[in-house]
Amino acid sequence: MKYQPAHTIGGRGSAPDQFARALRGVALDGAGRLYAVGDSAVKVFDADDALARQWPTDRPGECVAVDRSGRVWVGEREQVEIFDSQGGLTDTWRDPGQLGLVTAIGFAGSDVFLADATARWVRRYDQGGRLLNNIGDRHRKGGFHIPNGVVDFAVDDEGILHVANPGMHRVERYSPDGTLLGRFGRFDGRDPEGFPGCCNPTNLTVDDQGRVIVSEKAGPRVKVYDPEGQLLEVVADDVFDPTAKNMDLVVDSRGRIFVADTATLEIRVFEPTGSEATA
Amino acid sequence: MSKTHTRREVLGHAARGTALAGLGGLTGLLWLKANATFAWSINAQRCINSRLGAVGVDVCERCSTECVLALSAVRAVNEFKSCGRCYVCPAYFKITSAVGPDGLPTEKVCPRDAIKREAIGWIDPDDPANNFYDYTIDETLCNGCGRCVLECKEPAGLGSIRLEVRHDTCLDCNRCAIAQACPEDAFDRPEPA
Amino acid sequence: MPRCASLGTVLPRVAGPGLLLVLVLFGVSGPAAAQEHVEYERPVDVAPTEDTIGEGYVTPEVQRPRPRAAAWQIADVVLLAAALGVAAWLAIWRRQRGWLVALTTACLLYFGFYREGCVCPIGSTQNVAVALVDHTYAVPHYVIALFVLPLVAALFFGRVFCAGVCPLGAIQELMVLKPVEVPRRLDKALGWLKWVYLGTALYYAVLPAIERDFVICRFDPFVGLFRFTGAAWLLMVGGAFLVVGIFVGRPYCRWLCPYGALLSAFSRYAWRPFSITPSRELDCGLCQSACPYGAIEERRAVRTSCFACGRCYRSCPVHHAETPESVVPAAELAGRPPEAAP
Repeated sequence: MKYQPAHTIGGRGSAPDQFARALRGVALDGAGRLYAVGDSAVKVFDADDALARQWPTDRPGECVAVDRSGRVWVGEREQVEIFDSQGGLTDTWRDPGQLGLVTAIGFAGSDVFLADATARWVRRYDQGGRLLNNIGDRHRKGGFHIPNGVVDFAVDDEGILHVANPGMHRVERYSPDGTLLGRFGRFDGRDPEGFPGCCNPTNLTVDDQGRVIVSEKAGPRVKVYDPEGQLLEVVADDVFDPTAKNMDLVVDSRGRIFVADTATLEIRVFEPTGSEATA
Repeated sequence: MSKTHTRREVLGHAARGTALAGLGGLTGLLWLKANATFAWSINAQRCINSRLGAVGVDVCERCSTECVLALSAVRAVNEFKSCGRCYVCPAYFKITSAVGPDGLPTEKVCPRDAIKREAIGWIDPDDPANNFYDYTIDETLCNGCGRCVLECKEPAGLGSIRLEVRHDTCLDCNRCAIAQACPEDAFDRPEPA
Repeated sequence: MPRCASLGTVLPRVAGPGLLLVLVLFGVSGPAAAQEHVEYERPVDVAPTEDTIGEGYVTPEVQRPRPRAAAWQIADVVLLAAALGVAAWLAIWRRQRGWLVALTTACLLYFGFYREGCVCPIGSTQNVAVALVDHTYAVPHYVIALFVLPLVAALFFGRVFCAGVCPLGAIQELMVLKPVEVPRRLDKALGWLKWVYLGTALYYAVLPAIERDFVICRFDPFVGLFRFTGAAWLLMVGGAFLVVGIFVGRPYCRWLCPYGALLSAFSRYAWRPFSITPSRELDCGLCQSACPYGAIEERRAVRTSCFACGRCYRSCPVHHAETPESVVPAAELAGRPPEAAP
């Protein structure tokens, strides 16, 4: 499966559908609407990429996720804000002394997973906001090794967590109770099969077929791996700003990949080409 | 003092006294505004090797090549407090070189092999990627070429390495050869506030 | 929500130019640098801490630039003062050339080859000048001391700095092998060059910082020899000075040295300068032909141009005798009665 850059959304600027200072996280809802956080705001783009609505957040948003009932969760420093689909604030989660910078949010069943970049592991909460257990805290390095500063993970359809451990050049799989199920990845600065640099991949997402799509920094690159960890495709390695790092990404049901270029503040859309695209 | 002084002697004394007083006054004036911190230093925000945003540039090695000393007075310094202790440090390994059987790059960045890599803390006997590593720069080998500084810069690294002037070896030349050659005007003597 | 949206769009508009204005007002780094400067956020403290690393790991001390080696500076100043004192004692009291040569050699090795000719009193003239005109420019204490000490010594004993302390002088002093006499008028005329050079150096030093240049250091012909490195043409000029110096005594010191200009002015009022006196030397005039610097006129040392090298004493018949006090036997030795004798 090949990909081609289709178009971009947003960009640096002061227009309503642009970002002034930062673009940190992207997410999709069931209807295919794109959610982006960056400056202290959530921006929602409808299927034809027009800005549908936007609303401010209490603190600068680090990540965004939409649950099955359409609620919009925004991870921030030491708190998570939960909005209804129209932008009305319904709840704010805080866990003083525990929850730090929230850089990724995911859902499985009745569980809510929050990636805590301060603690450097993933926290599992129930719907009521009660901490159940941590994932990755038993790591010898005291958590995931993240010289890049964010913990990113994705939950697949079976409720398995895929967590990026960039300092070890690996993607690790965990069950919700924190058991390490497997891992893939190795360092390589030449072969695109491996992860280059000091700390890659920085961000990842999983599609409905279990394929893992990762983003890297220095130089910025997006790649697709099959569920066994074999490289399928390099989606793009020359379209991003060379200073971009920690590029969040999301994939829709049609296989389109949305990548947040953190330097130009554009969301770059990559479309699959060829016959497999419709699979 | 019964000795009589000639007119010439008296004039001589007067001139000498005046000159001494003048020198004393000059010394006092300068002493008040003297500042021992006045010395050559490198502005990391200007140096192309460490300036953020300068990505994909070639390394500038003038600090090592221009100094009048045989071994330049400039050294690379790793700020341990902000070092990520990476398993694969891009300032230590040439990260684009071929990977060896141990899974690590086979070439190093430092042309003088001045950086030491050492696992720290509790050491995992089975998985070397599971350790933190200290990268220590040997001052007797480093010549301040700046390659590691460039490789450690954001976004590839954390920018914990920078170039500094070693004042115990720097001759403090008024016409510093490095300052003359620095293309970014990063090598200067900052004026005290 | 619309209100919030408009606020969200207005704020950056105000903040952008505001920030730019602040940057320009404070002149942080100039417009070009400001444009290229990229902000990187470190969302969390990403460097592992001692607790994370464990096993009693202690973060190593970062090697800070050590404070400017104060010991070296104090040593330089003390040695300079001591060398000035010893030079004065040897030249004015002991009246011996042999030990002066030893002192000259020692100072050449230390200030020249070991300390590599920096910082020197000659160049410090510029730093002092800049410090006087530029209120933002500070000059270290030891540079002040280096500048002032030889001048104070000149007020008491003449150019003893030139005698055996200055490495630039020393390297030339040791090269004077076959001196020829320079016509007096030419010597005097060339002597004005050092004032011109001093004026030029001061002019370039007191220019605004951006145009400032340290001419004396830039064209120092000998510092490259001390360091065994430097611009090829300057090394050649230094070599040429030394070769010429075999025949023409200390050409840089006599005609070009800008600090020498100051020293000669100060030594005019010296308290006890280097002297050739009838009571201690034979007033014969042999010394006049022994002086390679044309600094003896009418059998007397010219205090403004005398480098106190002591060659005159060595040529003096009186000082050949074991006991310099016994003037009369020495005079008899020379076969000519002293003027003081009846």
